[in-house]
Amino acid sequence: MITVVGLSHKSAPIEVREQFALPADRVPDLLSRLVARPEVGEALLVSTCNRVELVAAARAGAPLEAVAHAGREVLAALAPAAPSDALYALTGGAAVKHLFAVASSLASLVLGEPQILGQVKDAYELARKTGTVGAVLHRTLSRALHTAKLVRSHTAIGSGQVSVPSVAAELARRIFGDLRGHSVLLVGSGEMAETVARLLQSSGARLVVVGRTPEKVAALAAAVGGEARAWSELTATLGEVDVIITSTSAPTAIIELEHVKQAQKKRRGRSQFYIDLAVPRDVSPKVQGRDGVFLYNIDDLSQVVSESLKTRGREAALAQEIIDAEVRSFDRWAGAEQATPLIVALRERIRTALGVELGRSLKGRLRHLGQPEREALDTMLDAAVNRLLHLPTTRLRESAVLAELDAPSLSDLTLAIEHVFALDEDAGDAELTLSEPRASETPSALARSDAGELEVPRHQVMEK
Amino acid sequence: MDALATVAFFLGVIAYSAASTLFFLDLARQNVPTGRSAWGPRVLGVAALLHAVHVSVASLILNRCPVESLHFGLSFSALVAVAAFLVLRRLRNLDAVGVIVAPAALTFLVAAQFVGVEVSSDLGISRPLLVLHVTANVLGVGLFVVAGAAGLLFLLQERRLQRKRAGALGTRLPSLDALDSATHRLLLTGFPLLTFGVVTGALFSRQLEISSGAALARTLFGFLTWAVLAAVLVLRRVAGMRGRRAAYGTLAGVLCVLLVVLVYAVRPGGHGS
Repeated sequence: MITVVGLSHKSAPIEVREQFALPADRVPDLLSRLVARPEVGEALLVSTCNRVELVAAARAGAPLEAVAHAGREVLAALAPAAPSDALYALTGGAAVKHLFAVASSLASLVLGEPQILGQVKDAYELARKTGTVGAVLHRTLSRALHTAKLVRSHTAIGSGQVSVPSVAAELARRIFGDLRGHSVLLVGSGEMAETVARLLQSSGARLVVVGRTPEKVAALAAAVGGEARAWSELTATLGEVDVIITSTSAPTAIIELEHVKQAQKKRRGRSQFYIDLAVPRDVSPKVQGRDGVFLYNIDDLSQVVSESLKTRGREAALAQEIIDAEVRSFDRWAGAEQATPLIVALRERIRTALGVELGRSLKGRLRHLGQPEREALDTMLDAAVNRLLHLPTTRLRESAVLAELDAPSLSDLTLAIEHVFALDEDAGDAELTLSEPRASETPSALARSDAGELEVPRHQVMEK
Repeated sequence: MDALATVAFFLGVIAYSAASTLFFLDLARQNVPTGRSAWGPRVLGVAALLHAVHVSVASLILNRCPVESLHFGLSFSALVAVAAFLVLRRLRNLDAVGVIVAPAALTFLVAAQFVGVEVSSDLGISRPLLVLHVTANVLGVGLFVVAGAAGLLFLLQERRLQRKRAGALGTRLPSLDALDSATHRLLLTGFPLLTFGVVTGALFSRQLEISSGAALARTLFGFLTWAVLAAVLVLRRVAGMRGRRAAYGTLAGVLCVLLVVLVYAVRPGGHGS
């Protein structure tokens, strides 16, 4: 199992979080230092503007608490001035659940935002290239990404846009469809208004800028790549444009009902979208409700944003159910994985013993056999071992997952099998090395057989 | 042959029902804001194919030219509507319109079973002109059904946007411009066909000296439909009437078209099979 150590927007303010910010080129060194510690087997770092989290797995026999402690030390070294309690640590099932929630964007500042999935993938990829990801983190990340995709496809957690500028741009698309060939008028200045204008322009719309101060208008038009026009041209320009974004500091409305009527007449009924971001408002509320005119002020846009987030909040409960189900499934896999070392040892012992006997026969009575026959016998032994161990393997994995009262536990079975087959003794006498285990029987290969969405290079699969 | 027509009919009903369900589910999906439907159009295409097989085989069995009876006329109108929709969705990304077109096609297919297949012979009117009259009306009704569907979705989308709710986002409804433009083009294409149908229909009425109440109602509704749709097109051209009012006008015209079809279907002697 894994541990997660770090901090996020929920646990620490930006003043603290920024101390832990780590450039991507320094992450490999941090991860390498961490896995160099005797208790840490695997590690990766998820670093975004809202969180810095180390995800790590223990080496065989090492307690997760020790791994969490190591993670704390490594992270704390990044920000010596940060408060000592800035970092949280989760272990076992809680860590898995947290990681699944992070990948699914349930732990994000903006619920359902899509970037986190890519950031988690990037974190995995960086760790994989660094060589600090093994079977456990590979499997865990694979399931986390799978869960995130399930959440996205089965809930509306990612629906809609959730910032005022993006909502405004999306609404424009709902009215006009493809914005190429459409024109946008930006009246006044303001960061939000400029963002909306840029968003619409990036979708192919033509931009016109109107303002009271010619110098400012010229500068803004140059900055956003639009056409500058004088304030006196405002009314005339209204009839030429499809989207009007207003953000002036005028004390009263600058666009009255009469202006809109004239514009509509000139436009022969084609729709217009007024985005009024000013307070006090720039567009008269009397415009509201006219056929072909859509007026959204800052409150309207904020309401759409907040209602969109409410919808996401409702979807979060559904997403949490999906995550819980996936965590239970992962727990079952992790439980079954406990039996893997025993299964590997048992398989090696039996295959080796059979290989020794086959080797003896091939040197004696079967020495006349050619290479094809020898290879056929070798293959036959593999098949025999597989058939012989199929049921024991299944039973052992079941005993690790199912805790039935009347069934022996995995530890009981482990003790019994180790004793019966002398697995805890060194079986490496010279005679037993005649036949090496095949690649498909190594612990690495067994770990790979559980591979999910992500491919792990063979050399990076850590042996437990 | 008879069995083939029956099997094609029932499979067509199932496929239309499945397509309607798929379009509805697709529209209800909130997590995918835009984009094309995956399966609805394909299943609708299969349904239309089965529908065409049913009509072709049934007309062969009955030895009737499909455009000579209202029974097959209704079926053909549905096929025209589906074909127009499938072409339109490719050009303008109007998949959501299928949520109305698919159930409408299903309704037409089933309703046709309750309409007589008999054709009055020796009416004393030109047979080629009659075939052209029915063909024009069949094509026109098909196009107006899709125009009505687009108009209805326009009003739905416009209402959502005017209400300023979060529901205005995350919907798979097409943009207002796309719906408005599609409605207008369908009306423009269907209007000459309607004009031809109304004029030839008036000629037939005069030749046959029809004076029954139902026949009079059909003729009047025909003229009313033509007048409403002509007004929508003229006002758009002259006064720039678009948007909500144009959509309401289109819906009124399409409703008149459907009423004409209904009056024709329930005329005395119109039941059968």
